[in-house]
Amino acid sequence: MSTAYPIPSDVSPATVRNTASLLRIVALALISGAAIASLLSMNCACIGPLLVEKKILTVTIAILGSTSVGVNLLWSRATRVLAAKGFYEFWNWFDPTAWYPLGRVVGGTVYPGLMVTSGIIYNFLHALNLPVDIRNVCVLLAPGFSALTAWATYMFTKEMKDESAGLLAAAFIGIVPGYISRSVAGSYDNEAIAIFLLMFTFYCWIKALKQGSALFGTLAALFYFYMVAAWGGYAFITNMIPLHALALLLMGRFSSRLYVAYTSWYAIGTLASMQVPFVSFQPVSTSEHMGALGVFGLLQIVAFAQLVRTHVSSQQFQKLLYGAVVAIGVLGAFAFVFLTYKGKIAPWTGRFYSLWDTGYAKKYIPIIASVSEHQPTAWPSFFMDLQFLVFTFPAGVVLCFRELRDEHIFVILYSVVASYFAGVMVRLMLTLTPVVCVASAVALSTLLDTYIDPVEPVAEEDVDDAVSANGSSSATPPSQPASKKAKKAAAAPAKTALGDFVAATNSKGGPPRRKGIFGLDSRLVVLFNTLSMLVFFVFHCTWVTSNAYSSPSVVLASQNPDGSQHIIDDFREAYYWLRQNTPKDSVVMSWWDYGYQIAGMADRPTLVDNNTWNNTHIATVGKAMSSSEEVAYPILRKHDVDYVLVIFGGLIGYSGDDINKFLWMVRIAQGVWPDEIQEPNYFTPQGEYRIDDRASKTMKESLMYKMSYYRFNELFGGQQAVDRVRQQQVPKEGPTLDYLGLLLSSSPGTCAHNEAEILPILTDEAFTSENWIVRIYEVKKEDLLGRDLKSANQFAQGKKRKRSKPAPRRRAIVCKIYEDSRLWMNKTGHCFLLFVRIKSSTLSDLREFRSQEIPERSALSRSFPILRTPTAQDAKEERSIYIHTHPTSNAQRPLPSLSAKGHRPFLSSLRSEPINLPQAQVRPSIFLFSLFKCYHSLFVMTLFEIIQNIPNLDCSISSGGSQQSRTD
Amino acid sequence: MPKCWLTLQFLLLAASHFAVGQSVENTAIVRTVELGGSVVHVTTTYAIKSLEDGLKSYTIALGHGDKVKTSWVEATIKGQKTPLPIAERAVYGDNAYQLYDVTLPKALSINKTLNVVFDTIQTHSTEPWPAVAWQNDDQALRYTTDLFVLSPYPTTVQRTKIKSQTPRIISFTEPKNIESFVENAPGVSKSGATVVYGPYNSIPPSTTDDFIEKYQQPVTVHYYHEQPVLEVLQLKRSVEISHWGANLNTQDEIVLHNAGPKLKGHFSRLEHQTQQFYKRPAPHVLPALTLHLPAGIRNTYYYDTIGNVSTSRLRLAPSVPKNRQGAQFSVFEFKPRYPILGGWNYSFTLGWDFPLQDSTSYDKSTGRYIVEVPIMTPILGAVVDDEELTIILPEGATDVQYAVPFPASSTSLSTHTTYLDTTGRPALTFKYKDLTVKQAESIFVSYKVSWSAHLKKPIAVGTAFLALFVLGTISRRVNLTLHQKAKTS
Repeated sequence: MSTAYPIPSDVSPATVRNTASLLRIVALALISGAAIASLLSMNCACIGPLLVEKKILTVTIAILGSTSVGVNLLWSRATRVLAAKGFYEFWNWFDPTAWYPLGRVVGGTVYPGLMVTSGIIYNFLHALNLPVDIRNVCVLLAPGFSALTAWATYMFTKEMKDESAGLLAAAFIGIVPGYISRSVAGSYDNEAIAIFLLMFTFYCWIKALKQGSALFGTLAALFYFYMVAAWGGYAFITNMIPLHALALLLMGRFSSRLYVAYTSWYAIGTLASMQVPFVSFQPVSTSEHMGALGVFGLLQIVAFAQLVRTHVSSQQFQKLLYGAVVAIGVLGAFAFVFLTYKGKIAPWTGRFYSLWDTGYAKKYIPIIASVSEHQPTAWPSFFMDLQFLVFTFPAGVVLCFRELRDEHIFVILYSVVASYFAGVMVRLMLTLTPVVCVASAVALSTLLDTYIDPVEPVAEEDVDDAVSANGSSSATPPSQPASKKAKKAAAAPAKTALGDFVAATNSKGGPPRRKGIFGLDSRLVVLFNTLSMLVFFVFHCTWVTSNAYSSPSVVLASQNPDGSQHIIDDFREAYYWLRQNTPKDSVVMSWWDYGYQIAGMADRPTLVDNNTWNNTHIATVGKAMSSSEEVAYPILRKHDVDYVLVIFGGLIGYSGDDINKFLWMVRIAQGVWPDEIQEPNYFTPQGEYRIDDRASKTMKESLMYKMSYYRFNELFGGQQAVDRVRQQQVPKEGPTLDYLGLLLSSSPGTCAHNEAEILPILTDEAFTSENWIVRIYEVKKEDLLGRDLKSANQFAQGKKRKRSKPAPRRRAIVCKIYEDSRLWMNKTGHCFLLFVRIKSSTLSDLREFRSQEIPERSALSRSFPILRTPTAQDAKEERSIYIHTHPTSNAQRPLPSLSAKGHRPFLSSLRSEPINLPQAQVRPSIFLFSLFKCYHSLFVMTLFEIIQNIPNLDCSISSGGSQQSRTD
Repeated sequence: MPKCWLTLQFLLLAASHFAVGQSVENTAIVRTVELGGSVVHVTTTYAIKSLEDGLKSYTIALGHGDKVKTSWVEATIKGQKTPLPIAERAVYGDNAYQLYDVTLPKALSINKTLNVVFDTIQTHSTEPWPAVAWQNDDQALRYTTDLFVLSPYPTTVQRTKIKSQTPRIISFTEPKNIESFVENAPGVSKSGATVVYGPYNSIPPSTTDDFIEKYQQPVTVHYYHEQPVLEVLQLKRSVEISHWGANLNTQDEIVLHNAGPKLKGHFSRLEHQTQQFYKRPAPHVLPALTLHLPAGIRNTYYYDTIGNVSTSRLRLAPSVPKNRQGAQFSVFEFKPRYPILGGWNYSFTLGWDFPLQDSTSYDKSTGRYIVEVPIMTPILGAVVDDEELTIILPEGATDVQYAVPFPASSTSLSTHTTYLDTTGRPALTFKYKDLTVKQAESIFVSYKVSWSAHLKKPIAVGTAFLALFVLGTISRRVNLTLHQKAKTS
């Protein structure tokens, strides 16, 4: 047989196989290492300048970790609890500092997988006397799991095609930006381990399906359980596997293998998943999980039908089938309607509606739409996250149709479903990425197989001779037993690249081919082209990762005029100030994006955080931010707010600031208080969103506006102040804060301009960070003389009192103190003093205002310290209890309370940090892009060529194979 | 019983008086107080004349108020460097003063004179006044001390000079009831930055309750201070010696506190930036600090609870071989995350590696290693309220001995288990209070490490891996399948 390039012919097939296997292991290890290293080094490269000096790696990581964890500080806090106090403490962990004053039952409302994983690693290392800080474990978890993901992808792709495709897929997933965005060191998030679990569950499922193995079915179930415990996106598996099973069923591919695999997975997986407290009975009660249950039932029926068919005659069977289908259909529909009606099956949640109708969220649940990750994906981000894989991905899917084994159907379904979802939400790009890697690897490895294959096809006229010659020579073909064995595993080695190679080295293996690649030059052109694509991909991934994904969200980098890096570290500056210089129990109000950061870095109670389980509470904050000080003040006082924190980017042009997010606050508040907050009021009459002189009155009076621009114009020393984010000129007359500024204006040391500028009622500026990004205001306490703050301010400035507000009323409630009751008081001591009877909660006389002031008893009892336990003396007397109420417009409206369903964060794993698609970074990529375009057109042409040719190639191979078996 | 105690006390007092009462005369006492922020340096020079032959020791008295504030004392002969041995006299009951016995280098014969210099460092002896200040205000401090330097001997003339760093002194106390010692009232004068109390002539032995009750009085100087008043509330230094890494790792956890006047109202960034812009920083604001770290350090890190702090600069000096005095330091200039205003805190961690050979020596004859460990990194003008110094010796170190430059308030030996240790490492913990720059000296620790102790770790790790491989080998060979599939024919 002629070959395109010389091949050593004296190598035994065993040697080739062993060498290949060794190379595979080495390659896989390198890929895993690269996956970890790239994630680390990218991060280090970017963080490097942050460090004064080089540091030992662990220190670097520790430090970097806490900078880039950002959003997920809660997780690391939770892990800390887990590691320090053990599993049961964690399970019952009630966090009184979040969602003040409600508190949050963390243990029962999180997916514990991530925390448990790192807790186990931490405890294991400590058992070995390796005193690794829990923070380091948290930081390095994601890169570690990305190595495992590479391995799982390798195993999965191996089932699709062969080992070489598996290696390619592993290499892709190791560096593809779409996955790196979630696995860089320090992104301690559920997704970090979830993608590994996703791929491995799918691999086990495919394996179970292929072999009809209950063992792999159980393994799939176990990893499914792990997945359920780790990520809310487990619903993807819950629906993907049944969809696959259903598709197989509909294609008439029902088999006992499918039955065994699916049944073992579903039964064990569902039971296991119900052990996660946060999931509990959802697998049998919510619509998202009904598909899996339905397919499970269907499989039972089909299996039963198969059984019956083997026992009865076909005529009887048809009658039986007809009757059964009608009966089951009617019964099933009836049961579903009945259960939905009775509320046993929960209707679809808003998040799922928003998957089908992209406009739904914006209309009905603004809080979901306000997260940038929940926006529909823009085209550039596909390219940014996947680069050339975008184009090879469809080719890979088409190649799957060629063979269309059961597992190929899975990949096809997966890619269709994931493509749709990735288009709906930026965030779901993450689920698309693995299948893109798999499909692209299949396509590319087919391409490479075809062009590396050294066998020269035989020209048309020689074929007949060659076939006959081969027929005679293959009386004792050396590779015969191997091919037989491999056929069992449904992957004939003759089809693989290695098989080709082995065949070629033996130079008498396969029959001659009619079709193929002629000559060395055509091979080299295509291979060089492909190789360049791969090299460009590596460059792209490096660039994207270092520029877009590895900058910690709390640290911004800019450049000095001399080109050196300048770090803008305002967030941590302000958080650390809060941590070190405010009382430990002061409550900080901010928009929910910064909730976890404040809880983690400043260690102070927050009103709302990134776990957006209580929309009303968030809307309350939104209302406080978007209404005038007079309205906001009672809200702040009611919630014991001591500090208000806003993010303001106007000075240095940081676009992710609160003024830019402000409309979402308005919208969310409007959803709850449509009468008081109206979005159009914040626009100019022309419908523009402005902050300059033309801004609407409501806008200028809103707390957010005032806090952002308070004394901003003074910084420009009399010149026109310009907001650099919005490129608008800030009004010459800065905002005043009545409720905030009295203290300042009465300062003798500060200059006279303070007199003109009074923060009204609310707050006093407490701290502003170096670049004015974070501004913290302190809420003034009520005036000691009982005046409202505005008039107190005016009095202090010697102004005439214009109007007054009714003084806070005090209402006394007389009730009996029981011996087993406790006195509770909030920390300011003057707002409400009440007691709760611990043993029985039947204090009917207190219920009325309890429900008004304190929504949850358990939350209350944990949020407020015990003042004292009553003495016997107390029990004898009747004590008066004063309840201090604020004369607010919405005094009769109870504070947001927990819904009847209990703690059910419907958006528990929301991430708030927007992925920045840096605009300035487009420029350097233009050159790359144009280069890429040239390559792309070339490449697509080649691909089409291949796809057209391959079926023919394949035919010739398989016909060759059949000839061979005939000669047997 | 109480009576008995009183008598005893009286007897002792009397004894001490009569023993030293007539032996010496102070021809002059000059006390110089150098006012500062949290650290005040007091130097008292006693010109003594012996009234008897063979005078071996001299007794110095310190008033109760001064004694409480004083964190460091040293006595020298004027013009000499070597400190004289000082013995603190035991105190019975609450005395109004404390006596120190200074052993003179050689016996003093009759009518010979000598100048004894008594150096003390006072900490926490100033207080901000007013106690709160606006961000733009000046910083004023108050320092209070006793008018007279007490001495068990008669004194011919006595002066107290209180020096401020700037001539901006707001007020000082005019002493009362001193007519018997001065010729012209008021007995206090101010020239430039110095307030002088005295000269006060012919003072009788003043360590008597009588004198103290009658004449001793507090005097207060109120002055402007232009540097921030710094306190280190807590310093935790842990020093880990690694023979395998040839490394001495030092890590300081520092809680810094600005003890100046508390900020009144709130911090305004605008005003801070205005001050910076016009280069008129408020005296009680600490925007940055410079530390002198040892020469030859590497892998320096500076972080706090929430991560790395990016605002610092380090200028490294090359390593200096041991036993050679190098004047060079690695200069570490750091900015805290935020400017530290009066009453604010800032805590951070600073650590570095140091080549072990530059601080350790091996004594071949005894087989002991000797390591030099500095007690603290001096922070100029700051006082360290509490220090906990932990020295972690290598695993298997035995026969631990140490020498301290001055006694610690507590010392303990414990076991510290870290990276892959099997038996743990001995750790020495020293606790100190109120340290100042003067006390930035070194502790010397010596220990023995046997050759086999060094091998403990590799052997432990090797055994663990071997066990793992053996387990792997076994599990690979065990076949758990229920029924063998027939081999392909």
